[in-house]
Amino acid sequence: MCVAEADPILNQPQIYDPYEYALHDDPYPVYRRLRDEFPLYYNRKHDFYAVSRYADCMTVLRNFKTFINGKSTTLEKEVIPGSLPFILSMDPPDHTRLRHLMVNQFRPHNVAPLEEVVRETARKLLAPHAGTGRIDIIADFAAKLPMAIICALMGVDPADEDMLRGWTDDIVHREDGSNEIVEVNITGTRNLLGYFEEMIQGRLARGEVGEDIVGQLIAFEQQGKLNHAEVLGYLYLLAIAGNETTTKLIGNFTYQLWENRHERDRLIGDPSLAAGAVEETLRIDGPTQMQGRETAEPFELHGHTIPAGSKVAVILTSGNRDERHYDDPETYRMDRGSRDHLGFGGGLHSCLGAALARLEGRIALEEMLATMPDWDIDLASTRRMHSAYVRGYTHLPLTFTPRSAA
Amino acid sequence: MSDVDFTYIQPDGEEKQVEAMEGMTLMEAALFNGIDGIQGLCGGICSCATCHVALDKELYDKLDAPSEGEAEMIAMLDDHGPTSRLGCQVSISEALRGARIRVLGTEA
Repeated sequence: MCVAEADPILNQPQIYDPYEYALHDDPYPVYRRLRDEFPLYYNRKHDFYAVSRYADCMTVLRNFKTFINGKSTTLEKEVIPGSLPFILSMDPPDHTRLRHLMVNQFRPHNVAPLEEVVRETARKLLAPHAGTGRIDIIADFAAKLPMAIICALMGVDPADEDMLRGWTDDIVHREDGSNEIVEVNITGTRNLLGYFEEMIQGRLARGEVGEDIVGQLIAFEQQGKLNHAEVLGYLYLLAIAGNETTTKLIGNFTYQLWENRHERDRLIGDPSLAAGAVEETLRIDGPTQMQGRETAEPFELHGHTIPAGSKVAVILTSGNRDERHYDDPETYRMDRGSRDHLGFGGGLHSCLGAALARLEGRIALEEMLATMPDWDIDLASTRRMHSAYVRGYTHLPLTFTPRSAA
Repeated sequence: MSDVDFTYIQPDGEEKQVEAMEGMTLMEAALFNGIDGIQGLCGGICSCATCHVALDKELYDKLDAPSEGEAEMIAMLDDHGPTSRLGCQVSISEALRGARIRVLGTEA
């Protein structure tokens, strides 16, 4: 969809391209410029609009009849060939029906009993490194913890965790400056869906459906509440969502608390502040930077008309740093207590796994404080993920004072 | 699934009658109908308490009691009362037909 030629929005300098790797190091000055100068921005190369102020992000997130999720929450015009519908690629009433089936599972109260297994897993992952004084907190810890938990909830064999994580990484990969679907997205999708299909067929053949998430979804299909594609789509989403973002959240608070050492010192003195540190990281440097919507009808914003059928980027982390909404928003304050941030999105599509992510994040931080409270980052050796949507490290090597085995 | 009609009383006192599908929640029906004061930030996982409503005593008693998790969230709200509920935890059913739901408009 092209805007009318006379529209001054066409003359905007092209300062925001989420597909450009160079942006990923520090997108925040660009976000600030968008908020101040171009609150409705239009990217000519990829043909999408972007909102960056808190109030505008909320308008889009809440107004789900105008700003639909459509086929996907990406800005790409096409979805990955072979992918299936899942709740992020649905709108009411189908979205409502599917979300209700699983929502109970993810309520904070029902997630809380996982505390013990999350802590045990975190300790097991950190223990071999405690005496060495070195760890790649992403590769050795943060990439493994959330995957282990979601795999346990789905009943996936722990031996397969690394393989599944590889496929989910393949699915979200994009080349520098490009929003084209690439071959690994397709093979990753095929592999992941094939894995779950085999798992389901194996259980049906054995006559043991099980009581984990996979078992529940099979039961919903047998009761006619879901069709088979929806079951596979659900598992596909959970595998990706359960992996990617929580991993990056752990990396991002590792960085933020190193950068803001006075806050880490307070945390060492009072680890009960850990939940607040996780929350503040979600606000100021949340892994999900941006999500896309599509206009079902024209919409007026800041004096322009966004035509129907346009892609709209909602820059969540820009909204979270909007000085029109938060005091001193670019300062990391773990006792800020903001619970209206957009780190998990907002509205009907707000992150289903938010309570689990908070739990995993808090326990990961508590265990890191217990094992390596003085972590130092070797900045030159860090490596970033390159995604238009998710911000975080793929390698984050730390050094710390070694501890003798407890 | 049939539609159930009931009324939201928005924080400014304005009333809005809606029809909503059975099985949806009071939070979702409020977002669908643009009711002021219901934010539903967490999308219904019972973790943000931005969908605080008060029910009539009679209706409150007719519904299942709030779960422990919901009760804990409600207890943390400054303006909670004896018939407070979180809209995302109340499923729309026949019991709500003709009901008047007071939106308390909790600040996030």
